[in-house]
Amino acid sequence: MASRPGDKHPALLALTSSALLLPAYQGVRADAPPEFTEIGLRYSKYEEDDTQGSKTFGGSSQRYDIDAAQFHLLAPVADNWAVAVDVQWEDMSGASPWFVGESLDGSPKVIMSGASIEDTRTEVSVTTRYYYDRGNAGFNYVRSKEDDYDSDAIALDGSVNSADGMTTYSGAISASSDDIEPTQGSVPTNTIKADKDIRSAWVGVSRIVSKNAIVRFGLSYTYRDGFLTDPYKLYDQRPDERKEWAVSTGYRQYFFWPNGALHADYRYFDDDWGIASHTLDLAWHQNLGNDTQLIPFLRYYSQDEADFFANIANTDQRYYSEDYRLSAFGAVSGGLRLRHTIGNWAITAVGERYETDESWGVYSGEESPALVDYWRYSFGLDYIFK
Amino acid sequence: MKQLICLCVVLCLCGCETVQPWERGTLAKREMQWQADAMEISLQAQINASKEASSGGQGAAGGGCGCN
Repeated sequence: MASRPGDKHPALLALTSSALLLPAYQGVRADAPPEFTEIGLRYSKYEEDDTQGSKTFGGSSQRYDIDAAQFHLLAPVADNWAVAVDVQWEDMSGASPWFVGESLDGSPKVIMSGASIEDTRTEVSVTTRYYYDRGNAGFNYVRSKEDDYDSDAIALDGSVNSADGMTTYSGAISASSDDIEPTQGSVPTNTIKADKDIRSAWVGVSRIVSKNAIVRFGLSYTYRDGFLTDPYKLYDQRPDERKEWAVSTGYRQYFFWPNGALHADYRYFDDDWGIASHTLDLAWHQNLGNDTQLIPFLRYYSQDEADFFANIANTDQRYYSEDYRLSAFGAVSGGLRLRHTIGNWAITAVGERYETDESWGVYSGEESPALVDYWRYSFGLDYIFK
Repeated sequence: MKQLICLCVVLCLCGCETVQPWERGTLAKREMQWQADAMEISLQAQINASKEASSGGQGAAGGGCGCN
């Protein structure tokens, strides 16, 4: 269709939209569709530390190792549409904490699942997004398939900018249907076949604070219903519903000297299982010339234990769990990201260390002998077709 | 805690200077994006959600996984 003299060319429209009417809510959702198709590949290696012999019956034991590959495609479609396709493959092996027993000196020790668990996961996510004058709206479908777990999820989201472009209001809703069919053989399981549903809603607002700073706030509610027990833990019986709330805030500040940006994000989480948590993320995005970015990052996390958590489960109770993930603990993680651009290509590399300890948390509770520490490394390649 | 969060929200939303559209170039830089690397953020969020009892806060929850 020929353009009329008064019509704006789509590319020009996209450029003016992004440069002049920059919304307060940026990131993957901007006011204009992407100008060029982008693809990206990532390979990640995730390695959990072996369990310590002093905390384990039967000596130290290997935990999970995961190899993950990610593919990302983002492409403009027609004038005001974009489509994104994300695929993730994971291959995992290792042992998992099975239950906790009491040693002769009275201290809790973990018993691992013994035989190595092997599993693969494939996740495909497709998002279509429509861009209009003052915002955008997206529809997302995600299918995740494992040997013992299938999930189908849909989500709708949208955002609208204020007339002056200083404020962006956003919202999203999602629903998922998950089927659990534990692999039989390595350990007895808590169910043969079960399911659960997840419903979630989120609202957010972001605001330009100054020429060099932007802030955002968000509030989310998630309702889980169905089989929420871990099928592979020997002593695990959880409520069949869970209500979660999270309040989050984020801040970005650019500094002309030394040509870098501070990222600060905080989240407070609370649920009706008695778990509350604080999460603080800090990162510094340092530009080195025009083509290289060095990004050191640090994360602090602290959670309270669930009402029904105990290292040695009391199975006379209605609900009980020995899962270390429901215990009180603190976690500190940090690492370094590097991104280097060469023409239309970009290379990324990430190294991260994550460590946990009960005494690092702001909440007190029984220290689980199964707390996990891990290393993660990622390498990636991006290409933009322009 | 709730009062503190409300106070921060009000102060931030009221205390902003007006920034004209042509003054927003810095805010468009890659390092000023909420999610500078979507794949990295996605993977990190998945790992954290599978090792901790908390998740979410930056959008709707989506689907689950059997990640242990």
